[in-house]
Amino acid sequence: MRPRLDMELVVGGILLAGVTSSMVLLTAGLAWHWTRSGNTALDYSLAGTSIFEFVLSDVKALTPDGLRPRVLVNLAIAVLLLTPYVRVLASVLYFALVERNLKYTVFTVFVLLVLTYSLFLR
Amino acid sequence: MSLALLLFVSSVAGLVGAMAGMGGGVVLIPVLTVLGVDIKRAIAISIVSVIATSSGSASAYVRDHITNLKVGMLLEMFTIVGALVGASIALVSSQRLLFLLFGGVLLASWIALWLQRHEAWRPIDRQDRFSRWLELRGCYDDRAIGRRLEYRAGRAYLGGPLMFGAGVIAGLLGIGAGALKVLIHDLVMGLPPKVSTTTSNLIIGVTALAGTSVYLSAGLIDPGLAAPVILGVTVGAFAGTRVLVRVSNETVRRIFLCVLIVLALEMIDRGLRGG
Repeated sequence: MRPRLDMELVVGGILLAGVTSSMVLLTAGLAWHWTRSGNTALDYSLAGTSIFEFVLSDVKALTPDGLRPRVLVNLAIAVLLLTPYVRVLASVLYFALVERNLKYTVFTVFVLLVLTYSLFLR
Repeated sequence: MSLALLLFVSSVAGLVGAMAGMGGGVVLIPVLTVLGVDIKRAIAISIVSVIATSSGSASAYVRDHITNLKVGMLLEMFTIVGALVGASIALVSSQRLLFLLFGGVLLASWIALWLQRHEAWRPIDRQDRFSRWLELRGCYDDRAIGRRLEYRAGRAYLGGPLMFGAGVIAGLLGIGAGALKVLIHDLVMGLPPKVSTTTSNLIIGVTALAGTSVYLSAGLIDPGLAAPVILGVTVGAFAGTRVLVRVSNETVRRIFLCVLIVLALEMIDRGLRGG
Protein backbone atom coordinates (compact mmCIF):
# COMPACT_ATOMS: atom_id res chain seq x y z
CA MET A 1 0.00 0.00 0.00
CA ARG A 2 1.30 3.45 -0.86
CA PRO A 3 1.47 5.82 2.11
CA ARG A 4 -0.82 8.83 1.90
CA LEU A 5 2.01 11.30 1.78
CA ASP A 6 4.44 10.98 -1.10
CA MET A 7 7.81 11.08 0.67
CA GLU A 8 9.69 11.50 -2.57
CA LEU A 9 7.82 14.69 -3.41
CA VAL A 10 8.51 16.08 0.06
CA VAL A 11 12.23 15.28 0.01
CA GLY A 12 12.55 16.50 -3.57
CA GLY A 13 10.64 19.67 -2.71
CA ILE A 14 12.84 20.49 0.30
CA LEU A 15 16.02 19.99 -1.68
CA LEU A 16 14.71 22.04 -4.59
CA ALA A 17 13.50 24.88 -2.36
CA GLY A 18 16.77 24.99 -0.41
CA VAL A 19 19.06 24.95 -3.42
CA THR A 20 16.89 27.38 -5.42
CA SER A 21 16.67 29.98 -2.66
CA SER A 22 20.40 29.64 -2.00
CA MET A 23 21.14 30.18 -5.69
CA VAL A 24 18.83 33.20 -5.88
CA LEU A 25 20.56 34.80 -2.87
CA LEU A 26 23.95 33.93 -4.32
CA THR A 27 23.10 35.41 -7.72
CA ALA A 28 21.71 38.56 -6.07
CA GLY A 29 24.79 38.94 -3.87
CA LEU A 30 27.23 38.42 -6.72
CA ALA A 31 25.30 40.65 -9.13
CA TRP A 32 25.17 43.41 -6.52
CA HIS A 33 28.90 43.09 -5.93
CA TRP A 34 29.56 43.01 -9.69
CA THR A 35 27.60 46.19 -10.44
CA ARG A 36 29.21 47.99 -7.51
CA SER A 37 32.84 47.11 -8.15
CA GLY A 38 33.12 45.73 -11.70
CA ASN A 39 34.24 42.23 -12.63
CA THR A 40 36.49 41.37 -9.70
CA ALA A 41 36.27 38.51 -7.27
CA LEU A 42 34.80 39.01 -3.84
CA ASP A 43 37.69 39.17 -1.49
CA TYR A 44 37.01 38.12 2.06
CA SER A 45 37.43 35.05 4.19
CA LEU A 46 36.03 33.69 7.42
CA ALA A 47 37.68 32.86 10.68
CA GLY A 48 37.02 29.37 11.99
CA THR A 49 33.45 29.03 13.19
CA SER A 50 30.75 26.44 13.67
CA ILE A 51 27.90 26.18 11.16
CA PHE A 52 25.49 27.20 13.91
CA GLU A 53 27.39 30.40 14.73
CA PHE A 54 27.83 31.13 11.02
CA VAL A 55 24.08 30.92 10.39
CA LEU A 56 23.33 32.96 13.50
CA SER A 57 25.69 35.80 12.58
CA ASP A 58 24.20 35.97 9.05
CA VAL A 59 20.69 36.28 10.39
CA LYS A 60 21.83 39.00 12.81
CA ALA A 61 23.43 40.95 9.94
CA LEU A 62 20.08 41.09 8.15
CA THR A 63 19.25 44.67 9.07
CA PRO A 64 18.61 47.56 6.67
CA ASP A 65 21.99 49.07 7.65
CA GLY A 66 23.95 45.85 7.65
CA LEU A 67 22.78 44.54 4.28
CA ARG A 68 25.72 44.25 1.88
CA PRO A 69 26.61 41.85 -0.98
CA ARG A 70 28.64 39.67 1.35
CA VAL A 71 25.73 39.30 3.77
CA LEU A 72 23.60 37.93 0.93
CA VAL A 73 26.41 35.57 -0.10
CA ASN A 74 26.88 34.34 3.48
CA LEU A 75 23.15 33.87 3.85
CA ALA A 76 23.09 31.86 0.61
CA ILE A 77 25.78 29.55 1.99
CA ALA A 78 23.89 29.24 5.30
CA VAL A 79 20.68 28.25 3.52
CA LEU A 80 22.63 25.72 1.48
CA LEU A 81 24.21 24.16 4.57
CA LEU A 82 20.85 23.81 6.28
CA THR A 83 19.16 22.17 3.28
CA PRO A 84 20.41 18.57 3.81
CA TYR A 85 19.77 19.00 7.53
CA VAL A 86 16.12 19.90 6.99
CA ARG A 87 15.79 17.02 4.54
CA VAL A 88 16.98 14.55 7.19
CA LEU A 89 14.67 16.15 9.76
CA ALA A 90 11.73 15.67 7.40
CA SER A 91 12.75 12.05 6.83
CA VAL A 92 12.72 11.37 10.57
CA LEU A 93 9.19 12.80 10.86
CA TYR A 94 8.04 10.83 7.84
CA PHE A 95 9.35 7.45 9.01
CA ALA A 96 8.13 8.06 12.56
CA LEU A 97 4.69 9.53 11.88
CA VAL A 98 3.55 8.55 8.39
CA GLU A 99 5.15 5.22 7.59
CA ARG A 100 5.55 4.24 11.29
CA ASN A 101 8.66 2.30 10.39
CA LEU A 102 10.70 1.85 13.57
CA LYS A 103 13.83 0.59 11.83
CA TYR A 104 14.12 3.56 9.53
CA THR A 105 13.11 6.02 12.23
CA VAL A 106 16.09 4.83 14.27
CA PHE A 107 18.40 5.06 11.24
CA THR A 108 17.36 8.61 10.34
CA VAL A 109 17.48 9.76 13.98
CA PHE A 110 21.07 8.56 14.11
CA VAL A 111 21.90 10.58 10.99
CA LEU A 112 20.15 13.62 12.47
CA LEU A 113 22.12 13.35 15.73
CA VAL A 114 25.47 13.15 13.96
CA LEU A 115 24.55 16.13 11.76
CA THR A 116 23.42 18.12 14.80
CA TYR A 117 26.79 17.40 16.40
CA SER A 118 28.52 18.67 13.26
CA LEU A 119 26.45 21.90 13.26
CA PHE A 120 28.02 22.83 16.59
CA LEU A 121 31.52 21.59 15.76
CA ARG A 122 34.24 24.20 16.11
CA MET B 1 40.80 35.58 -10.09
CA SER B 2 37.84 37.06 -11.98
CA LEU B 3 34.25 36.15 -11.23
CA ALA B 4 33.58 35.32 -14.88
CA LEU B 5 36.43 32.79 -15.09
CA LEU B 6 35.42 31.09 -11.84
CA LEU B 7 31.79 30.92 -12.97
CA PHE B 8 32.72 29.40 -16.34
CA VAL B 9 35.18 26.83 -15.04
CA SER B 10 32.87 25.65 -12.30
CA SER B 11 29.82 25.33 -14.56
CA VAL B 12 31.78 22.99 -16.85
CA ALA B 13 32.89 20.96 -13.81
CA GLY B 14 29.28 20.74 -12.63
CA LEU B 15 28.00 19.58 -16.02
CA VAL B 16 30.56 16.81 -16.38
CA GLY B 17 30.20 15.81 -12.75
CA ALA B 18 26.43 15.48 -12.82
CA MET B 19 26.41 13.49 -16.05
CA ALA B 20 28.75 10.97 -14.51
CA GLY B 21 26.85 10.82 -11.22
CA MET B 22 29.60 12.63 -9.38
CA GLY B 23 29.26 15.77 -7.29
CA GLY B 24 31.53 17.75 -9.58
CA GLY B 25 34.34 17.92 -7.04
CA VAL B 26 36.58 15.49 -8.88
CA VAL B 27 36.67 17.89 -11.82
CA LEU B 28 36.58 21.08 -9.77
CA ILE B 29 39.47 20.44 -7.37
CA PRO B 30 42.12 19.68 -10.02
CA VAL B 31 41.00 22.74 -12.01
CA LEU B 32 41.05 25.04 -8.97
CA THR B 33 44.56 23.89 -8.04
CA VAL B 34 45.70 24.54 -11.62
CA LEU B 35 44.31 28.08 -11.22
CA GLY B 36 46.52 28.48 -8.17
CA VAL B 37 44.19 27.75 -5.26
CA ASP B 38 45.80 25.91 -2.35
CA ILE B 39 44.62 22.27 -2.37
CA LYS B 40 43.16 22.36 1.13
CA ARG B 41 41.12 25.47 0.29
CA ALA B 42 40.09 23.88 -3.02
CA ILE B 43 38.91 20.82 -1.09
CA ALA B 44 36.97 22.99 1.37
CA ILE B 45 35.26 25.01 -1.38
CA SER B 46 34.51 21.89 -3.34
CA ILE B 47 32.81 20.16 -0.45
CA VAL B 48 30.40 23.10 0.02
CA SER B 49 29.60 23.20 -3.69
CA VAL B 50 29.05 19.44 -3.56
CA ILE B 51 26.11 20.05 -1.20
CA ALA B 52 24.52 22.27 -3.86
CA THR B 53 25.10 20.00 -6.84
CA SER B 54 24.09 16.80 -5.16
CA SER B 55 20.98 18.32 -3.57
CA GLY B 56 20.06 20.03 -6.85
CA SER B 57 20.35 16.87 -8.91
CA ALA B 58 18.89 14.71 -6.15
CA SER B 59 15.76 16.87 -6.02
CA ALA B 60 15.00 16.08 -9.67
CA TYR B 61 15.83 12.37 -9.40
CA VAL B 62 13.88 11.91 -6.19
CA ARG B 63 10.76 13.46 -7.72
CA ASP B 64 11.21 11.24 -10.80
CA HIS B 65 11.09 8.27 -8.35
CA ILE B 66 14.45 6.87 -9.50
CA THR B 67 16.30 7.34 -6.18
CA ASN B 68 15.93 4.63 -3.54
CA LEU B 69 15.35 6.60 -0.33
CA LYS B 70 15.76 3.65 2.04
CA VAL B 71 19.05 2.55 0.54
CA GLY B 72 20.16 6.19 0.75
CA MET B 73 19.19 6.75 4.35
CA LEU B 74 20.66 3.46 5.48
CA LEU B 75 24.03 4.15 3.90
CA GLU B 76 24.14 7.77 5.09
CA MET B 77 24.67 6.52 8.63
CA PHE B 78 28.04 5.20 7.54
CA THR B 79 29.14 7.99 5.20
CA ILE B 80 28.58 10.93 7.57
CA VAL B 81 30.71 9.41 10.33
CA GLY B 82 33.32 8.64 7.70
CA ALA B 83 33.23 12.24 6.42
CA LEU B 84 33.89 13.69 9.89
CA VAL B 85 36.87 11.36 10.27
CA GLY B 86 38.17 12.04 6.76
CA ALA B 87 37.96 15.83 6.99
CA SER B 88 39.80 15.78 10.33
CA ILE B 89 42.58 13.74 8.71
CA ALA B 90 42.79 16.20 5.79
CA LEU B 91 43.49 19.11 8.13
CA VAL B 92 46.72 17.51 9.31
CA SER B 93 47.83 15.94 5.99
CA SER B 94 50.53 17.33 3.71
CA GLN B 95 49.55 18.77 0.31
CA ARG B 96 51.57 16.18 -1.59
CA LEU B 97 49.89 13.34 0.20
CA LEU B 98 46.47 14.81 -0.66
CA PHE B 99 47.36 15.03 -4.36
CA LEU B 100 48.63 11.44 -4.41
CA LEU B 101 45.63 10.14 -2.47
CA PHE B 102 43.26 12.01 -4.77
CA GLY B 103 44.88 10.56 -7.87
CA GLY B 104 45.07 7.10 -6.31
CA VAL B 105 41.39 7.06 -5.41
CA LEU B 106 40.39 8.11 -8.92
CA LEU B 107 42.70 5.57 -10.52
CA ALA B 108 41.43 2.75 -8.31
CA SER B 109 37.83 3.64 -9.21
CA TRP B 110 38.76 3.71 -12.87
CA ILE B 111 40.43 0.29 -12.84
CA ALA B 112 37.49 -1.32 -11.06
CA LEU B 113 35.01 0.17 -13.52
CA TRP B 114 37.17 -0.64 -16.54
CA LEU B 115 37.30 -4.31 -15.58
CA GLN B 116 33.51 -4.29 -15.40
CA ARG B 117 32.85 -2.25 -18.55
CA HIS B 118 31.34 -5.02 -20.67
CA GLU B 119 29.11 -6.30 -17.95
CA ALA B 120 25.58 -5.08 -18.20
CA TRP B 121 23.63 -4.77 -14.96
CA ARG B 122 22.56 -8.15 -13.57
CA PRO B 123 19.65 -8.30 -11.18
CA ILE B 124 20.14 -10.05 -7.85
CA ASP B 125 18.20 -13.33 -7.88
CA ARG B 126 18.40 -14.18 -4.21
CA GLN B 127 18.44 -11.40 -1.67
CA ASP B 128 20.23 -12.17 1.61
CA ARG B 129 18.12 -12.10 4.78
CA PHE B 130 19.73 -8.99 6.24
CA SER B 131 19.07 -6.91 3.10
CA ARG B 132 15.51 -8.21 2.97
CA TRP B 133 15.05 -7.21 6.62
CA LEU B 134 16.28 -3.74 5.65
CA GLU B 135 13.58 -3.55 2.95
CA LEU B 136 16.11 -2.83 0.21
CA ARG B 137 14.10 -3.12 -2.98
CA GLY B 138 12.40 -0.82 -5.44
CA CYS B 139 11.34 -0.09 -8.97
CA TYR B 140 11.47 2.83 -11.38
CA ASP B 141 10.45 3.76 -14.93
CA ASP B 142 13.51 3.65 -17.15
CA ARG B 143 12.98 6.20 -19.93
CA ALA B 144 15.91 4.88 -22.00
CA ILE B 145 14.50 1.33 -22.26
CA GLY B 146 10.91 2.53 -21.98
CA ARG B 147 9.66 0.20 -19.25
CA ARG B 148 9.42 -0.29 -15.50
CA LEU B 149 12.43 -1.95 -13.90
CA GLU B 150 12.12 -3.83 -10.60
CA TYR B 151 15.20 -4.60 -8.54
CA ARG B 152 16.40 -5.75 -5.13
CA ALA B 153 19.62 -4.76 -3.39
CA GLY B 154 21.80 -7.26 -1.58
CA ARG B 155 24.88 -7.56 0.63
CA ALA B 156 24.04 -4.59 2.84
CA TYR B 157 26.35 -6.08 5.52
CA LEU B 158 29.24 -5.36 3.15
CA GLY B 159 27.89 -2.18 1.57
CA GLY B 160 27.53 -0.36 4.93
CA PRO B 161 31.12 -0.65 6.14
CA LEU B 162 32.42 0.09 2.64
CA MET B 163 30.34 3.25 2.62
CA PHE B 164 32.12 4.35 5.80
CA GLY B 165 35.32 4.19 3.73
CA ALA B 166 33.68 6.20 0.93
CA GLY B 167 32.68 8.78 3.55
CA VAL B 168 36.27 9.06 4.80
CA ILE B 169 37.46 9.68 1.23
CA ALA B 170 34.67 12.24 0.68
CA GLY B 171 35.61 14.21 3.79
CA LEU B 172 39.33 13.85 3.18
CA LEU B 173 39.33 14.95 -0.45
CA GLY B 174 36.28 17.22 -0.58
CA ILE B 175 34.63 15.23 -3.31
CA GLY B 176 31.21 13.66 -3.17
CA ALA B 177 33.13 10.40 -3.62
CA GLY B 178 30.23 9.58 -5.93
CA ALA B 179 32.68 7.45 -7.90
CA LEU B 180 33.16 5.12 -4.96
CA LYS B 181 29.55 5.21 -3.85
CA VAL B 182 28.33 4.29 -7.32
CA LEU B 183 30.89 1.51 -7.39
CA ILE B 184 29.70 0.08 -4.07
CA HIS B 185 26.04 0.33 -5.14
CA ASP B 186 26.73 -1.30 -8.53
CA LEU B 187 29.21 -3.99 -7.71
CA VAL B 188 28.51 -4.89 -4.10
CA MET B 189 24.81 -4.22 -3.65
CA GLY B 190 23.64 -4.89 -7.21
CA LEU B 191 21.61 -1.72 -7.80
CA PRO B 192 20.89 -0.77 -11.43
CA PRO B 193 23.38 1.95 -12.53
CA LYS B 194 20.79 4.71 -12.72
CA VAL B 195 19.45 3.97 -9.26
CA SER B 196 22.97 3.82 -7.89
CA THR B 197 24.07 7.17 -9.36
CA THR B 198 20.90 8.95 -8.27
CA THR B 199 20.89 7.43 -4.77
CA SER B 200 24.55 8.34 -4.46
CA ASN B 201 23.54 11.95 -5.18
CA LEU B 202 21.16 11.95 -2.24
CA ILE B 203 23.75 10.51 0.15
CA ILE B 204 26.44 12.94 -0.99
CA GLY B 205 24.52 16.00 0.28
CA VAL B 206 24.51 15.02 3.96
CA THR B 207 27.99 13.51 3.74
CA ALA B 208 29.33 16.80 2.39
CA LEU B 209 27.55 18.74 5.13
CA ALA B 210 29.33 16.71 7.80
CA GLY B 211 32.67 17.32 6.04
CA THR B 212 31.92 21.03 5.59
CA SER B 213 31.50 21.50 9.34
CA VAL B 214 35.11 20.43 9.87
CA TYR B 215 36.49 22.72 7.15
CA LEU B 216 34.37 25.66 8.30
CA SER B 217 35.60 25.29 11.87
CA ALA B 218 39.19 25.26 10.56
CA GLY B 219 38.56 28.58 8.75
CA LEU B 220 39.34 27.04 5.34
CA ILE B 221 36.11 28.05 3.63
CA ASP B 222 36.57 31.27 1.74
CA PRO B 223 33.09 32.61 0.84
CA GLY B 224 34.46 35.07 -1.74
CA LEU B 225 35.92 32.21 -3.74
CA ALA B 226 33.19 29.73 -2.86
CA ALA B 227 30.27 31.90 -4.01
CA PRO B 228 30.92 31.96 -7.79
CA VAL B 229 32.08 28.34 -7.68
CA ILE B 230 28.89 27.13 -5.98
CA LEU B 231 26.73 29.06 -8.43
CA GLY B 232 28.61 27.82 -11.51
CA VAL B 233 28.78 24.20 -10.44
CA THR B 234 25.09 24.11 -9.59
CA VAL B 235 23.96 25.60 -12.90
CA GLY B 236 26.21 23.13 -14.74
CA ALA B 237 24.97 20.20 -12.69
CA PHE B 238 21.36 21.15 -13.37
CA ALA B 239 22.01 20.97 -17.10
CA GLY B 240 23.80 17.63 -16.66
CA THR B 241 20.86 16.17 -14.75
CA ARG B 242 18.43 16.88 -17.57
CA VAL B 243 20.71 14.97 -19.93
CA LEU B 244 21.29 11.95 -17.65
CA VAL B 245 17.71 10.69 -17.57
CA ARG B 246 17.66 10.57 -21.38
CA VAL B 247 20.79 8.53 -22.03
CA SER B 248 21.39 4.81 -21.56
CA ASN B 249 23.13 3.20 -18.59
CA GLU B 250 26.10 2.23 -20.81
CA THR B 251 26.64 5.80 -21.99
CA VAL B 252 26.68 7.07 -18.41
CA ARG B 253 29.35 4.55 -17.57
CA ARG B 254 31.46 5.46 -20.62
CA ILE B 255 31.48 9.19 -19.84
CA PHE B 256 32.40 8.39 -16.28
CA LEU B 257 35.41 6.29 -17.37
CA CYS B 258 36.87 8.97 -19.67
CA VAL B 259 36.66 11.71 -17.06
CA LEU B 260 38.13 9.58 -14.29
CA ILE B 261 41.31 8.51 -16.06
CA VAL B 262 42.32 12.01 -17.19
CA LEU B 263 41.89 13.47 -13.70
CA ALA B 264 43.57 10.53 -11.96
CA LEU B 265 46.75 10.89 -14.02
CA GLU B 266 46.78 14.67 -13.62
CA MET B 267 46.60 14.52 -9.83
CA ILE B 268 49.17 11.73 -9.45
CA ASP B 269 51.54 13.70 -11.68
CA ARG B 270 51.16 16.76 -9.46
CA GLY B 271 51.69 14.71 -6.31
CA LEU B 272 54.91 13.27 -7.71
CA ARG B 273 56.16 16.70 -8.81
CA GLY B 274 55.44 18.02 -5.33
CA GLY B 275 52.17 19.91 -5.89
